[in-house]
Amino acid sequence: MKHRKEEALAVPMSSMIDVVFLLLIYFIITSKDEISEAHLAINLPAPGSSKASETKPQLLEIEVYENQYSLRGVALSLANLELALGRFSDPELTVIVKVSVQARAKDLVAVLDLCQGQGLSKLNVVTLR
Amino acid sequence: MKRHDEDLQTPITAMIDIVFQLIIYFVVTSSVDKDMVDESIRLAEADHSPAVESSDPRLVVINVNAQGRVNVALQPMSMQQLENLLLSMKVQSGSSVPILIRCDGNTRFDYVDQVMQRAARVGLYRVRIAAMVEG
Repeated sequence: MKHRKEEALAVPMSSMIDVVFLLLIYFIITSKDEISEAHLAINLPAPGSSKASETKPQLLEIEVYENQYSLRGVALSLANLELALGRFSDPELTVIVKVSVQARAKDLVAVLDLCQGQGLSKLNVVTLR
Repeated sequence: MKRHDEDLQTPITAMIDIVFQLIIYFVVTSSVDKDMVDESIRLAEADHSPAVESSDPRLVVINVNAQGRVNVALQPMSMQQLENLLLSMKVQSGSSVPILIRCDGNTRFDYVDQVMQRAARVGLYRVRIAAMVEG
């Protein structure tokens, strides 16, 4: 009788390990979502859209080459582009990003990301040929 | 008498086991749309942009890898097939159907541009470009 009671008080190791493993699996599966994605919305040039507006909206032109950027025709590094964009935080401003076919996708994403960071959301992407 | 008492105890550990199995089952089945994503693509980083919380179920995900090869839901596609697919999506869900281009950071813009041109030709002028957010 006494022996039996002691056994019942022992910690049930194997089931505890079961639970721990299940917790581990659960957290591994859910932690996969930690690396999250941002979706940068852009507009593509539509035919006939250039003549659509009579009052010309304010435009900001950014050119993107491979690892090179220019703002309104002035070549800038990415860090300087960020500083320069700081002066244009008007959300109504239309940004035209002209991308060279030689550029990499990460160059474009870097510029779109900077614009997004400044609250510029009217982003248009045009290809330079 | 002693035996009877033991039988009445709730088997807590077994119950927890079952509950966790259920949780895992629902977590795994709820993220079915992960199959649309090509894991070999390394997205460019964007640290200023907000991460998306929930995505539109109509979202069309176009994967473009570093070599410029295009696949949709891991199904390799030629440009013509892509255009046909986009056209049928537009007919089905209207021109507001969201298009997401998941391109590798090292993809030449040339290839991304080809995909954009096909989207524009079908009349879908609003597309999104996926980027990775740290943290």
